[in-house]
Amino acid sequence: MAELILLICGGAIAGAFGALLGLGGGVLMVPLLTLGFGLPLREAVGASLVCVIVTSSAAASVYLQRDIANLRLGMTLEMFTAIAALAGGLVAFMLPDRVLALMFAALLLYVAITMARAREARDSGPGDGPDAAQPTLAGADHTGADSGVGADTTGDRGLAAALSGPGYRVRNLGRGALGSLLAGLVSALFGVGGGIVKVPVMNLVMGVPIRVATATSNLMIGVTASAGALVYLFRGGIDPYVAAPAAVGVFAGASLASRLSDRVDLRMLRLLFVAVMVVTATQMALRGVG
Amino acid sequence: MKTSSLERTVGRVLGAGALASVALLAIGIVGMGVLHVAPLDRPFPPFDLGRLPADVAALRPSGFLWFGLLAVILTPSIRVIASLLGFAVAGERRMVAVAVVVLAVICLSAALGAGG
Repeated sequence: MAELILLICGGAIAGAFGALLGLGGGVLMVPLLTLGFGLPLREAVGASLVCVIVTSSAAASVYLQRDIANLRLGMTLEMFTAIAALAGGLVAFMLPDRVLALMFAALLLYVAITMARAREARDSGPGDGPDAAQPTLAGADHTGADSGVGADTTGDRGLAAALSGPGYRVRNLGRGALGSLLAGLVSALFGVGGGIVKVPVMNLVMGVPIRVATATSNLMIGVTASAGALVYLFRGGIDPYVAAPAAVGVFAGASLASRLSDRVDLRMLRLLFVAVMVVTATQMALRGVG
Repeated sequence: MKTSSLERTVGRVLGAGALASVALLAIGIVGMGVLHVAPLDRPFPPFDLGRLPADVAALRPSGFLWFGLLAVILTPSIRVIASLLGFAVAGERRMVAVAVVVLAVICLSAALGAGG
């Protein structure tokens, strides 16, 4: 019983951290399950994918009803994230656990560095905006994105126009598709949402405002992660006794955190998160080499 | 269907799916607690679609857990189907094609996962 409660609470903490910092929670769930509960990495990734889908569905529901997420753009890019997630899910079952652990350690370091740089950028600028919790703002200049200018280098202006939204015009669809492939691969290999790749690609490369990019990324995470999760499900990579309590915990933690976000010192939280990520990356790397 | 009404409908589908999934998982977790099943107990019950209705009818925790997990994983696909229908009604042929491709990839994932 204690184990069950610990797992739900651990999921809640990961979900709350993730929601407050603009992450899906997967990047915290996998280390928690492997290093904290001793689960094999692949089972941890399978459980984490489930957690990521639940939070994505709940958040995207709100973003769509508030007309923030771009449904058409999200579905177009989903074609690429889902294909890559399918490939990533299959590849994950071929890679040795140690290799996956080393790759995950590298991902954690990348997230920590991105988060630290986002903090520096924000510390030197004016106050936090509505997207303050996003980890992907490092040095980003969104003025071009919001102005709606910029040529569509793919030449498919009709499609770009159809996918654009009020106040912005989507560009560089080809590069956006490539970024989406990378995001899908990362999602299925490591049990994360892939927003750490998708949000900067949509914002900086495709000219989508950060708020819309974040909401659209959230929408896409569900389909991306479910393409990977189906492979894990049918190949015995999802343990229901672990995935269910973790998912309920993450859902509860994320829901609670979204209501408390105004009262939390995000700078301190971000600093703590960077420290946790660095320690976790080290432990994961040691697991990979040891 | 108007654009914003499609987004609202799809949003409601996602929200309902998330809540229903979490409710099913919660029932399964309560069952785990009642039967003193620990999360790290091995072996864990395998996923068997054929046994799922019987397990749920017999109120076995594993039935609710697998049903809930399946609902979690399929909720985004239901969202894609809802979008497809909305695009079809609105006559957006290009988006209908996009939705069909996304659904095809999801089906392929299930097929390749099951086939391995």
